[in-house]
Amino acid sequence: MRYRFIAALVAFAALLAPIARAEDAPKDVKGIYLMSDYPAVTVRPGETSTVNLKLQNYALAPERLTLSVADVPSGWTATLMGGGQPIAAAMPATNSSVSLELRLDVPKNATVGTQTLTIKAAGGTTTVQLPIAITLAKDLPAKLTLTPQLPELRGNSKSSFEFQLGIKNDSGKKLTVSLSAQTPQYFDASFTEGYGSQELNAVPVDPGQTKNVKLKVTPPNTAAAGSYKVEARVGAEDAVATADLTMDITGQPRLDISGREGLVSAHASAGKETSIPVVITNTGTAAAENVELTGSAPSGWKVTFDPKTIDRIAPNANKEVQALITPTEKAIAGDYMTTIRASARGESANTTFRVTVTTSTMWGIAGIGIIGIALLVMVGAVARFGRR
Amino acid sequence: MRREGSAFAGLGVVTLKELSDHMTGMRMIVMEWLVVLLALGVVYTGIQQIRQVSAEDPFLFLRLFTRAGEGLPSFVSVLSFLVPLVAIGIGFDLVSSERSQRTLSRILSQPIYRDALLFGKYLGGLITIIIMLVALWLLVIGLGILTLGLPPGPEEVARALAMLVVTIVYAGVWLGLALLFSIVFRSPATAAFVALGLWLFFTVLWPLLAPYAAAPFVSETVQTPGDLLTQISVLQAFARVSPGSLFGEIVGVLLDPTVRSTQQPLLASLGLVLLQPGSIPGAPLPLVQSLLVVWPQIVAMIAGAILLFVIGYVTFQRQEVRA
Repeated sequence: MRYRFIAALVAFAALLAPIARAEDAPKDVKGIYLMSDYPAVTVRPGETSTVNLKLQNYALAPERLTLSVADVPSGWTATLMGGGQPIAAAMPATNSSVSLELRLDVPKNATVGTQTLTIKAAGGTTTVQLPIAITLAKDLPAKLTLTPQLPELRGNSKSSFEFQLGIKNDSGKKLTVSLSAQTPQYFDASFTEGYGSQELNAVPVDPGQTKNVKLKVTPPNTAAAGSYKVEARVGAEDAVATADLTMDITGQPRLDISGREGLVSAHASAGKETSIPVVITNTGTAAAENVELTGSAPSGWKVTFDPKTIDRIAPNANKEVQALITPTEKAIAGDYMTTIRASARGESANTTFRVTVTTSTMWGIAGIGIIGIALLVMVGAVARFGRR
Repeated sequence: MRREGSAFAGLGVVTLKELSDHMTGMRMIVMEWLVVLLALGVVYTGIQQIRQVSAEDPFLFLRLFTRAGEGLPSFVSVLSFLVPLVAIGIGFDLVSSERSQRTLSRILSQPIYRDALLFGKYLGGLITIIIMLVALWLLVIGLGILTLGLPPGPEEVARALAMLVVTIVYAGVWLGLALLFSIVFRSPATAAFVALGLWLFFTVLWPLLAPYAAAPFVSETVQTPGDLLTQISVLQAFARVSPGSLFGEIVGVLLDPTVRSTQQPLLASLGLVLLQPGSIPGAPLPLVQSLLVVWPQIVAMIAGAILLFVIGYVTFQRQEVRA
């Protein structure tokens, strides 16, 4: 009974095993293979190039394979590298592979043409070969493409515009790409990497790879509403790519408060309403609509405006309103701060006015009256009691 | 018998004679030297202090009057102490000495009315004090320019002048009181004793007694700043019975433009600061506003001086002079 159960289990495992193996080892492929993604490459004389190789073992027992490179033209140096150091043999496990690199040092004066090198892996039972065609080309042209993700952005003169750019290196070698941007005058442009904050002048791009950079353009605060062209330009060696970008700047109102003729001080009497002329100027690039005025003063004071709101202030225009300030009845003479605030959708400005409060001279007159009464008493006494 | 004609006939003669008597009198010379020397000493030590501490003060000159030197009171407090003494010294025997020398009826037999005699005596005494105070004031300003090396600004001069006028009114109050006593009491010694006693009472005793006198009207518990201000104003109301404290309140506000209420110095002595919400502390007030703050006190002093004189006048008019 028990044995039958174990036998069933083994049978089940035997059924499962080929399914699990099927992914990395095709059923009918068996043996040792020496492979390369690109067995024919173009390199430049005078440079060191690498060719990626792979030694694959499909369904064979591990075996020691001696590696060698044959047909190396004179003057060239071909080294097989594995794990960062020169190697002479490799031993892939069953159903696994070993990565190898063929490093080629091609002398500067090598003749242009195609040479075929043969890589050999020789073991006790199997020997595999891989011919690799190396074509020498004097100058492989660098090629770059620049693709903006969103070429047209919109914002106001206070916001910064961030363009995502993809730089693709379509040449066979690593390039250091310099970055620049042509902007209208006084616009500030800087490149940063993806989400980094470090500004960049150049980025290295691996062959065949795309690198994303961010171009951040900050317009000056005074930029008028309108559409602005920005040209992003990347270059490496003699390859250049450009992308035309557009910034659509919408205007922004900017408010400024002052008194008439710039005066921000005023006089007021305790308990009496005083009107202070307040000039609200729009120094921005768009009209300010619905400007609301508020004021904050010491407790017990009353601040109102006539009119309370301004419908519209055109750019570079100003409007005058009257701030009606009533200091509290009990205010002691002295200087007080009153803040006047103007706000139009999202834009606000405030200015502090210095209000000098004077107290009423009514009690002074009453005091003079008391002194007058005292003098009258004296005159009366002189008249009544005067005698020789 | 009813008087005929102007009450002031002969006023000029009496005033000039009184003035010359005062100016040449030994008593006056001693008093003036006493006051001038003491005041100069106080101002000199005050200047030494100012030169050490306040480098940047827009009202540096006014500090001459209010800054106390080491171990010495300030110029203003010396004035509040000594001006009554000088006024009493001049006024205590104005009428009673005429009476004791039996010259009163002889003067009144001249074409001079009683009104003119009393007015003249009062004016003569007051002018003497004014001359002394103006000389003292000029000395202080001059010494200030000499040692500080800078001239006072117009605002400072105006405030110092207002202080001078207030000091003269203060002297007028005490002169009126001394004149009243010299009329009421026949003996000059009694008049001097009563006047000096009153002066001592107001300068030494009353400041100590006033809080006790005010105690029934002050709530014991102080919870809010409003309570504290009410308490202080009650205490002040009692202290103001003394002309000296009235004078102190007035010059304290007049000579410091940053003071906005008479309660401010009292609060400062408690280590408190009067803060109005939203106000800019330390901003100087214009002179007119400073005057308005202490205007009731000034009115009280002027009216008090006039009323004291009127009481003396009425008493004198009803007295028999021929005895």
